[in-house]
Amino acid sequence: MQDLLNVASLGSIYLLFALGMALVWGTIGILNFAHGATFMFSAFVGHLVTSETELPFLAVVLVAVLVGAAIAALTQLLAFQPILKRSKNQHAAEMRILIGGIGVAAIPLAIAQHQTRSSPFGFRSSYEAEVLEIFGLRLSTTSAVVIVAGLAIGIGLTVWVRRSRRGLALRAIGVDAETAAGMGVNRTLLAFGTMATAGALAGLAGALLTFQLGAIAPETGDQLLIKAFAIIVLGGLGSMAGTVIGAYVLAGAETLVLNLNYGTWVDAVSFGLIFLILLARPQGLLGRKEVRRT
Amino acid sequence: MSDWYSMNVVLIQTTLTTLLLALSIQVPIRFGVFSFAGVGAFGIGGYTAAIAMVHLGWTTWPSVALGAVISGIVVFALGLLVQRLTGLYMGMATIAFTLIISVLAVNGGELTGGAGGLYGALGEIDTGHILAILAVVVAVLVWTETKGMGRRIDTVREDPELANSVGIDVVKYRLASFALSGVIGGLAGGITTLLRSTITPAEVNFHLVIVALTAIIVGGARSWLGAFIGAVIFVWLPTMISFVQEWEKVVYGFIVAVAAIYLPNGVLGVVKDLIHRFRTRQERARLAVLQEKG
Repeated sequence: MQDLLNVASLGSIYLLFALGMALVWGTIGILNFAHGATFMFSAFVGHLVTSETELPFLAVVLVAVLVGAAIAALTQLLAFQPILKRSKNQHAAEMRILIGGIGVAAIPLAIAQHQTRSSPFGFRSSYEAEVLEIFGLRLSTTSAVVIVAGLAIGIGLTVWVRRSRRGLALRAIGVDAETAAGMGVNRTLLAFGTMATAGALAGLAGALLTFQLGAIAPETGDQLLIKAFAIIVLGGLGSMAGTVIGAYVLAGAETLVLNLNYGTWVDAVSFGLIFLILLARPQGLLGRKEVRRT
Repeated sequence: MSDWYSMNVVLIQTTLTTLLLALSIQVPIRFGVFSFAGVGAFGIGGYTAAIAMVHLGWTTWPSVALGAVISGIVVFALGLLVQRLTGLYMGMATIAFTLIISVLAVNGGELTGGAGGLYGALGEIDTGHILAILAVVVAVLVWTETKGMGRRIDTVREDPELANSVGIDVVKYRLASFALSGVIGGLAGGITTLLRSTITPAEVNFHLVIVALTAIIVGGARSWLGAFIGAVIFVWLPTMISFVQEWEKVVYGFIVAVAAIYLPNGVLGVVKDLIHRFRTRQERARLAVLQEKG
């Protein structure tokens, strides 16, 4: 049972991180490689701010969320939008966005590595985690917040994309961007908002993970990026519910491997999962199938 | 000249091995296959060569050759598995492959030296040897870039449906690009490892992918000459400008992002455009003179 609780906590962090990526990739078709760097740098700015003044829990989270949204919005404005405008077709744009994202991601990562000399950093906060005991299970307050936030935002976003008018517009862009634009969907504005939302989620995940672990390293974002990709592929691109399921499945699989004493193989779980899913069921668990001719 | 050479021999050799690594990524991209498996091949080639020298007591060149052959076969097999994936899925699956290689190396026990890596595999390699190998590789690549072969490969990249309809076996070409990329990547890994005498799992990481991509994107993705320009810029820029040395990764991230947005065909593309424009102007002037004579 304690393991299940740990899985829920780990899975919720994965979920918060992967949701932003899934939202952006599944709707406006951008695989944002700078998502991991956004995540890390939001927490890093939180670290810089709290090393000046001590802040309460919520204030640190708010700082990270705002920074995350700002970084993602800037990335969209300065890199992805110009690329989309200059590309001849979707295929060429995809590659240039991926490469541009890799370039953008290197900048905050290098700055953080330079400032911290690649050592982990944390927050100085008036908040102190307490350990709750429920039916003999131990759960820190941070983990409780993480689980509640992960589930609430995951389900909330799933329902929002499915039910709301904006969500409909977003899904329409995902299916056919040009037709959607013809029906009066403002692609540029919606893409901008989606990126900012995803960045805010990355910032939230960054702050919560740092609170939970005490400290994170600048490279943490890169590892999460590959895991988030595995989660999205597992759940199916364009399906928010699939992302929610994928996050907890990956967390469960990793915890299982860890408990069987194969600690050094944990990273191989997500890489192997990417492989298996892409080969056996490329559309993922809940994804729609795409038609291909070659 | 010889003074300059002996002072910069390490940099020259690094330029050449970086060029080989960049070529292993560039080849599949030129075939329209977004594969980063060349970096994984770098790891396989490096480890195979080091293992052959340290554990089997082989001499330099058989070790390097074994590394190139094995990484060629492995990457070809990978190609058989993943060749039906497209675009981003292919990119991420091959990045996952590359990172799995590094996990395997960590868990390889005595064979791979675990997380600490393998030491003491110092081969007898000088610049002449690398140049000779590079000459062979470049000769093969020039053959694939020019005349009929070049046009067929361009078609496979730009319009696979059209290529299929005019009788070009797209799948065969894509698989060939995997094998070629594996062999070149393996050569790069073997030579680099035996020059430095060590290889560690940490080297086969995401940063290496960025190094290779930077060289190609900045130089130009369509020709080996572009990769050469990129490798020269990449290796020599930090030694020229001390600001670049301190903020190396920030500068490279910035360069990659800017190149992805504004120079999709790299420096080589810009130069070719200028030459083309100059020639067109000359041609027009010549025609104008002819018309006046009437």
